[in-house]
Amino acid sequence: MDTFRSLIIILMSSVLVNNYVLSRFLGICPFLGVSKKLNQATGMGISVIFVMVMATAVTWPLQHFVLDKFGLGYMQTIVFILVIAVLVQFIEMALKKFIPSLHKSLGVYLPLITTNCAVLGVTIENVSEMNYNFVESIVNSLGCGLGFLLAMVLFSGVRSKIEESEIPESFRGLPATLIAASFVSLAFFGFAGIVDNLFA
Amino acid sequence: MNKHMKSVISLTAICAAVSLLLAVTNYVTAPIIEKQQSAAANEALYQVMPDGEDFQAVDLTKYELPDSITEAYSEKNGGYVFKITTTGYSSGFIIMCGVDASGTVTGATYIASSETLGEEATYGEKLKGATLDTVESVETVSGATKTTSAYRNAVKDSLGAAVILGGGSVDLRSDEEILNDNLSAALPSAEGKFTSVFITEELTDINSVYKAENGAGYVFVSGESFIATDNEGNVTSETKLKDTVETNAKKLIASTLTEIDISGYADMPSQVQKAYKTASGNYVFDLRAAGYGINGDKYTASGEYIYIKVSATADGKIIACETVSQKESDGIGSACADSSFYTQFNGKTADTYKDIDAISGATVTTNGYTTAISKVFEAINILKGGA
Amino acid sequence: MNKNSNMSIFLKGLLLENPVFVLILGTCPTLATSTTVIGALGMGLAATAVLICSNAVISLLRKVIPDSVRIPCYIVIIAGFVTIVQMIIHAYLPELYDLLGVYLALITVNCIILGRAEMFAGKNSVGKSALDGAGMGLGFTLALLCMATVREVLGAGSFAGIEIPFLSRFKIEYLTKAPGGFMVYGILIAVVYKLTHGKAPKKKEFSCAGCPSAGFCNAACENTPVKEEN
Repeated sequence: MDTFRSLIIILMSSVLVNNYVLSRFLGICPFLGVSKKLNQATGMGISVIFVMVMATAVTWPLQHFVLDKFGLGYMQTIVFILVIAVLVQFIEMALKKFIPSLHKSLGVYLPLITTNCAVLGVTIENVSEMNYNFVESIVNSLGCGLGFLLAMVLFSGVRSKIEESEIPESFRGLPATLIAASFVSLAFFGFAGIVDNLFA
Repeated sequence: MNKHMKSVISLTAICAAVSLLLAVTNYVTAPIIEKQQSAAANEALYQVMPDGEDFQAVDLTKYELPDSITEAYSEKNGGYVFKITTTGYSSGFIIMCGVDASGTVTGATYIASSETLGEEATYGEKLKGATLDTVESVETVSGATKTTSAYRNAVKDSLGAAVILGGGSVDLRSDEEILNDNLSAALPSAEGKFTSVFITEELTDINSVYKAENGAGYVFVSGESFIATDNEGNVTSETKLKDTVETNAKKLIASTLTEIDISGYADMPSQVQKAYKTASGNYVFDLRAAGYGINGDKYTASGEYIYIKVSATADGKIIACETVSQKESDGIGSACADSSFYTQFNGKTADTYKDIDAISGATVTTNGYTTAISKVFEAINILKGGA
Repeated sequence: MNKNSNMSIFLKGLLLENPVFVLILGTCPTLATSTTVIGALGMGLAATAVLICSNAVISLLRKVIPDSVRIPCYIVIIAGFVTIVQMIIHAYLPELYDLLGVYLALITVNCIILGRAEMFAGKNSVGKSALDGAGMGLGFTLALLCMATVREVLGAGSFAGIEIPFLSRFKIEYLTKAPGGFMVYGILIAVVYKLTHGKAPKKKEFSCAGCPSAGFCNAACENTPVKEEN
């Protein structure tokens, strides 16, 4: 029961409180770049969840059973980024072959994810800073991915409103988008403390 | 094919070259990083033992140390540093304490606390130089008695643990724990749970009486002896005190209280809340004394009362006195709840009740208390006159 | 000024092609590590060191690396330098290491570095590439410092950890938090646009084409409806 509770807490805190995009600033590029339309935002978000969970499932055992065992901890960054790159390639190939319909909707976003810092960030944090076990790591990755999707979807809604408004010239485009992001992020601040009182 | 080979070879070569470069950098920086991390970890250790050398963690599972000790480090010169998690006023705090080879505290500091610490934050300074014999005499900080006594107990645990790690043995039990262990030894079927019995009869050679919470019987304390009886007062074990205890026990167990309606006595002092009479003719009073903030016996000003229970013989001799509850200033007037204070009234009469040691620094509390006690003798006379 | 002179290669990164305010690259570390001046300076210089080294080495190897595997090669080289910088900081500046945390390792995926490797170092000489790396790196550092100065001075009432007498009583703590990061960044981009009077190529939309990954996912950029609109 306690394990289940701690997993719920990890999930809730990574989705809401420590939202990767809105409070940790990871994965800002796709957040700003691909959030203009709802369907793109959703596609990108789902792809990120998929890659994050897959990458964690591979990098966690790799860190604990290979890198740590042979004292190669310093190879972490290189190994992880290569694993992610290869994984993304494989996922794309597999989708193309076996689920063409899904590839059609998600395929275009996959290559962009290789250099998404949220993916590398979550895999590194799971094994070093947080020191989660395998199940916790998977749950944390799922939570971070869901948080990313949530932020993307919510923000695409906000952006469509900005498009229609009158903005001073200097602020047109990205500056206005960033300021909108600031407000969405502020809204997420309201979730702070929710996890502490989840089972209180 | 050739093109593919070239790609694979060049990628592999770059990977190998980068790995080599990283291995070299790691070889150079790893010892520095390790040294730095151990230095950071040892910072707290040096804080409580500045002369310490070469700290090594001690495997706690090999020793029977007090439960409060969570980490221990041995040091080259025979000293130890302990990390203790303790409970203070509301929640725990963590203390580091260094003990040198001669069993003297080299330093103590708290490293984490969820409590707001005022003066007691520097209490560790006062404990510096203490030994197992002197640590109890280091005074607690008034106004933070609970926190500082928890601090002091943590340091005492450390001093004891140092003795144990050095191969010795030490009794770290508190007075209450010793008492409970003795009571349990006398009456094991009570399962370690006892309540003190308020003595309403004049007993001979008996200091105190405890009743098993589960009804297994009584334990009578006479000097250093702990003697168990059953619920009828029969001593179950062989002891030369058997007759004395049985006489007393039967007297006490047979003692029943009948409440006296005091509303009919117009002169009854206001301190007397309730009065009882035993079958043997003794009186028992529930008293309400004026604590700090309540002036005189008029009880007009706001303040807190002290509730006292007193038993006395019909000819005006106090049998037993006990503070039931009080809310006096922590560390000052609160001493009126210490048995060393209230047992002073045992055996006192109307002429001698003032011959007690007052609580230092708490004149108001002491005065309120003794005034209430004086009303016992008045009440007895009133009750006798009216009877 | 000759567009290809060494001086202009170096200077363009500072303002006119400032990677953060104009090219909008490396947004994640910009927002995340600009809460304190010390953190911003540390992150900026660490990224600059990686940028100079990786640009130089990639330029050196540009004729050896086959085109088909150039991106993985670039990533390996960059990740290697990041790890080296990470180890050096861990050994000699442990406090900075703790302050930057995971963001130090994430320099690997900082788009500025891969972006410069793809756009510049892969096509130019070693000297010019190193100079480009230095300019871009310093431009990144400068931008981080601007952000951090605004956020720390107004948000925490201090500069590089030193308390400012008057301001420390009127802290706008919002600025040190995540929402403040987005806000300050947005305002500074607008200010830089105004200062350069539109000379700097303004990004109307932040989209795929500006992403350094665009180089190796052309297919993605062409297929998605997200296209640069200016």
